[in-house]
Amino acid sequence: MLTSLEPLINGILLGGLYAVIGIGLSMIFGIMRQVNLAHGELMILASYFSLVFLQLLGIHPLVTFLFVLPAIFILGYLIQTFLFNWVLEKGMEPYLMISFGLSIILQNAMLLLFTPDARTLQTSLAIKSINVFNLFYVPVIYLVDFVVGFLVLGLLHLIMKKTYLGWAIRAASDNLTAARLMGINPKRVYALAMGIAVITAAISGVLVGMTFTFYPHSGTQYLIIAFGVVIIGGLGSLPGTFLGGLILGVSQLVGGRIIGPGLQLLSGYIILLIVLTIRPQGILGRK
Amino acid sequence: MAMLEVKNLNVYYGGFQALSDITLSVERDQIVSILGSNGAGKSTLLKTISGLLKPSTGSIHFNGEKIDPLGPHDIVKLGLALVPEGRKIFSTLTVLENLLIGSYSPGARRTKDEQLENVFELFPRLAERKGQLGSTLSGGEQQMLAIGRALMSQPRLIIFDEISLGLSPVMVKHLYHAVNRIKQKGMVVVLVEQDVKRSLKTADFAYILQEGKIRLKGNPKDFTEEEVKKAYFGL
Repeated sequence: MLTSLEPLINGILLGGLYAVIGIGLSMIFGIMRQVNLAHGELMILASYFSLVFLQLLGIHPLVTFLFVLPAIFILGYLIQTFLFNWVLEKGMEPYLMISFGLSIILQNAMLLLFTPDARTLQTSLAIKSINVFNLFYVPVIYLVDFVVGFLVLGLLHLIMKKTYLGWAIRAASDNLTAARLMGINPKRVYALAMGIAVITAAISGVLVGMTFTFYPHSGTQYLIIAFGVVIIGGLGSLPGTFLGGLILGVSQLVGGRIIGPGLQLLSGYIILLIVLTIRPQGILGRK
Repeated sequence: MAMLEVKNLNVYYGGFQALSDITLSVERDQIVSILGSNGAGKSTLLKTISGLLKPSTGSIHFNGEKIDPLGPHDIVKLGLALVPEGRKIFSTLTVLENLLIGSYSPGARRTKDEQLENVFELFPRLAERKGQLGSTLSGGEQQMLAIGRALMSQPRLIIFDEISLGLSPVMVKHLYHAVNRIKQKGMVVVLVEQDVKRSLKTADFAYILQEGKIRLKGNPKDFTEEEVKKAYFGL
């Protein structure tokens, strides 16, 4: 009977990873009321960045953060400054189109550079697992995913609550006119926020690369997970995103156990539909 | 040299001329009042001075520096703060966070602790409520917060837009008392008001606007009631 705890525990651990996949998307929506469809590709781009450093320097994937994160931050900053900032005042459609175009360009650039072969960020962690009371096994890599994910969300929470950048981001999304009167340059704050959002995407990309295999077109699959997470939890809410990640992770694994592993994704999206019907703004979302 | 110098300012909303040929100046060590009924152009004037709107023609100088081409975030850094109409406090930030974001400009950050103490001394109520969300404050407390937030930027000139709108007489009196103390600390104060009586009593110099033009200016002590009525209502 206790072995049925296995999908629950693993679902929670996987949910920590899902939360980091979703948080960047949620943040950008919360701040600019815009949806970045290239979120998944930026994630997978970071997986490939990590792979390059791993192969060149022979370092652990988690150590490649040192190189990947600054590079992806700069990329995010530039994308916001030179693409998205131009269309912010023009409603949602131009932003959607630009980010969709960006996602196609990135996907094909990765296909060209890295070939369509399946890749993985190999570590010894991937094959270890912990025996829990002789009842079931928990993969160590899931534990790493959860811990890193939890740390990322915690750090993001601190940035939002304790730094000028965090106050500025929240002030700009609360009342833009007043924020400008406080000395905040919205376009610069948006660029920094995008930099941070893609850092979270990059961290999740590296974790995904360590946990699963990835291809140049894997981004779409994770964009859908990100949507699931933020819709369940509530767009723009940090605790909501964490909760959304856990719920999606648990419903996939527990559902997979009950109705069969082939239908894992389905069970996740059934929960999504239920949340959408009962509480369209998400569990912790504001109207 | 005047602290704030507005010359021949014309501002349009599409084809509608909201301000025509406005020239005014604010001297150091003064409280200047800008009056006018609803739609007279007061808010447009303030939006233009603070950089939220761009004038079609004319110039604005602050401390000798030309500010009309600058964005609002650069104008704040120079020491010109606006307490906006309707308070516009950040409702999802706490009182303390609202105040701290007021010191966003790099120059103001260094002295933020000192500024915070000054604000709490001026409005002890804000200190009591510093952990609460902005949205939970009463109208008067929100106005205090909006003023405190503007003070955090260490302004040399501070403009109050409709400071008394929708507040009880007791609260208005309290806020005007605070305005006087702000002036005593050496800041230049500009009051933009519909409340003619109180604002003329407080000011050293006044401008009365109607339909985007200045109709009357001078020391309010020299104004006759007839003049004020005529300039304000156009009777």
